[in-house]
Amino acid sequence: MNSSHQTFAEKASRLATEAAVRATPEPLAKRVRGFSDRAIAWLFIAPTIALLLAINIFPLFWAIYLSFTNYRANRPNAEVRNIGLSNYSRILNDPDIWASMQTTAHFVFWTILLQTVIGFGLAYLIDRKFRGHAFWTTLILIPMMLSPAVVGNFWRFLYEPQIGLFAYAVSFLTGIPTSDIQMLGSVQLAPWAIVIVDTWMWTPYVMLICLAGLRSIPDYIYEAAEVDRASPWRQFWSITVPMALPFIMLAVLFRGIENFKMFDMVNLLTGGGPGSTTEVASIALKRDAFEAWATGRSSAFAIVLFVAVFGLANIYVKALNRVKQR
Amino acid sequence: MADVILKGITKSFGDKRAVDAVDLHIHDGEFVVLLGPTGAGKTTTLRLIAGLETPDAGTLHIGGRPMQGLAPASRDVAFVFQQYSLYPHLTVYENLAFPLRSPARRMDAATIDARVRQVAKMVRIDHKLENRSTRLSGGEMQRVAIGRALVRRPSIYLMDEPLSSLDAKLRAELRLELKRIQKELGATLLYVTHDQIEAMTMADRIGILSEGRLVQIGTPREIYTDPANLHVAARLGQPHINILPVGLLPGAEAPAGTAKVGARTEHIAIARQDGGNARVDWIEHLGDQNHLHIKVGEHRLVTLADPDMPVAPGDGISVALRNPLYFGQDGNRLDGRRLA
Ligand SMILES: Nc1ncnc2c1ncn2[C@@H]1O[C@H](COP(=O)(O)OP(=O)(O)OP(=O)(O)O)[C@@H](O)[C@H]1O
Ligand SMILES: [Mg+2]
Repeated sequence: MNSSHQTFAEKASRLATEAAVRATPEPLAKRVRGFSDRAIAWLFIAPTIALLLAINIFPLFWAIYLSFTNYRANRPNAEVRNIGLSNYSRILNDPDIWASMQTTAHFVFWTILLQTVIGFGLAYLIDRKFRGHAFWTTLILIPMMLSPAVVGNFWRFLYEPQIGLFAYAVSFLTGIPTSDIQMLGSVQLAPWAIVIVDTWMWTPYVMLICLAGLRSIPDYIYEAAEVDRASPWRQFWSITVPMALPFIMLAVLFRGIENFKMFDMVNLLTGGGPGSTTEVASIALKRDAFEAWATGRSSAFAIVLFVAVFGLANIYVKALNRVKQR
Repeated sequence: MADVILKGITKSFGDKRAVDAVDLHIHDGEFVVLLGPTGAGKTTTLRLIAGLETPDAGTLHIGGRPMQGLAPASRDVAFVFQQYSLYPHLTVYENLAFPLRSPARRMDAATIDARVRQVAKMVRIDHKLENRSTRLSGGEMQRVAIGRALVRRPSIYLMDEPLSSLDAKLRAELRLELKRIQKELGATLLYVTHDQIEAMTMADRIGILSEGRLVQIGTPREIYTDPANLHVAARLGQPHINILPVGLLPGAEAPAGTAKVGARTEHIAIARQDGGNARVDWIEHLGDQNHLHIKVGEHRLVTLADPDMPVAPGDGISVALRNPLYFGQDGNRLDGRRLA
């Protein structure tokens, strides 16, 4: 009696266990020849990690190493000596390099100022949702979708003093002879030529981010403000701007980092000239690395630039977070 | 403060008549509550008065001034929105001060500060003045939203379910407080709610909205004892009014044409009686009273009973009507007015 009862309980528990085992899906690992789930996870991300190591992390450390040596890439057989910090001290004492940093700073400042003001203005207009605003949005976005190489090349043509549309249009409007509008050849105009092209190309990007910011402000906030008798001017400054500010700052961050290392556009349009008026840091770096072949020194320069961008971006992101948390 | 007069106000969204020829005269200093099911057009009515929507037809006067074509800012109304709609990047203090800082008002900083602190105390948010408005609970946000209206002295306050997300205790407190403030200021107030207790206790008059139409308007007592039709009768009363066929229960002398009899608790006489005409189906204990679910043949009805009434589910009971409400085929009341 007692024993049969026991058997019944045992049987029930065995059946329950079996049912549970059947119901639980077998781990993927069991099905793929003895790998554990974790191993399979590693297997999947390994190619990405390998690629990242090969083309990002390794070159970075290699460059750090080279920056302390006298290595020259055009003399692979020469003896490589560790020369300590002397590359860094030469970089930081070189007036030409400081000049290129200053040129970069000017570019970053003016492109960001123009792109933010125009981009936000366009976003504000587009956000009014007038008839056909979708069409205009698409049209405005086109420059951003082009390749920088294409943009650089066709602006070279547009800027041509003899045949270029830009010089023709300016001369048509102002009466200045086209031969005086040497956008890429003149010391005064060349920096602005680049600022104009960069602004033309990247303002849509800033506009898009600002538009996202404006669209995130719910209508009823404006309705409340309207009932509270806030003028459109006050609504703009006390609602629109503060609420879109994190987005604007984000756009500035993206464009700032991007333009700090601006290369392709300058290289295509002026190559740093005339003289060194448009020689931004990245152009100076390229010349040092691939014209003077001072690989060690240019590595040190690259590291200095990297630390500068990284530091500035970090300070900025802190500020951005403070604004967002308000 | 001023009279607010709506005449034939109509508003459609596409095919949907949200507000249908509403006539409403809100007197200076009056507290009017709009009651209606969801989608009845309550919010739309308030928005039309505030100027946030433009009516398709009809006229609106505030303080004798025609409002046609006037922007919300020039109408002198204060609005508490159904979604709290605080300014998220501002503190509670800044939110409350915002309407007073309008340059048109030319109010000096000391006056603004005093007013803000006074109102913050009224709506019990003075301990959170420096908090960001996004860091508040729903109930706190709602109080700030009410406060932001109360700092002003507009022609009319428009409030869209302002107490809906508060807990029962705070709601009861603020209900009293709001009524007190309104009386003290002599404020004109149009108030939307789903809550019949709010409507009954605060309103000078209640307007019942149904599918965009103002079905009936009157004092809470009129609306309760003299509903114009089935719809109005169903809005008030706890438990819900029982709608019964004619002749189901004794004690009624239905006038000719009666299709439905409406019986609230006070229209129903019950007595414990074995072999009576009904049976107790279920009892809900609410503490101070019981909901008695009764079955009469195939029909169910609910009424209140003393908690110590000696009945249990399954017991026989006798049920009779006592002066109930009679409704015709179209749902309108048949027996005449009881007040006056
Ligand atoms: N902007 C709009 N566009 C289209 N339809 C709308 C709009 N606003 C309101 N409606 C419609 O009008 C009707 C009335 O809406 P309203 O917001 O006034 O209802 P309500 O009585 O406030 O309801 P609730 O109690 O749920 O807040 C609804 O059927 C709604 O769908
Ligand atoms: Mg509503």
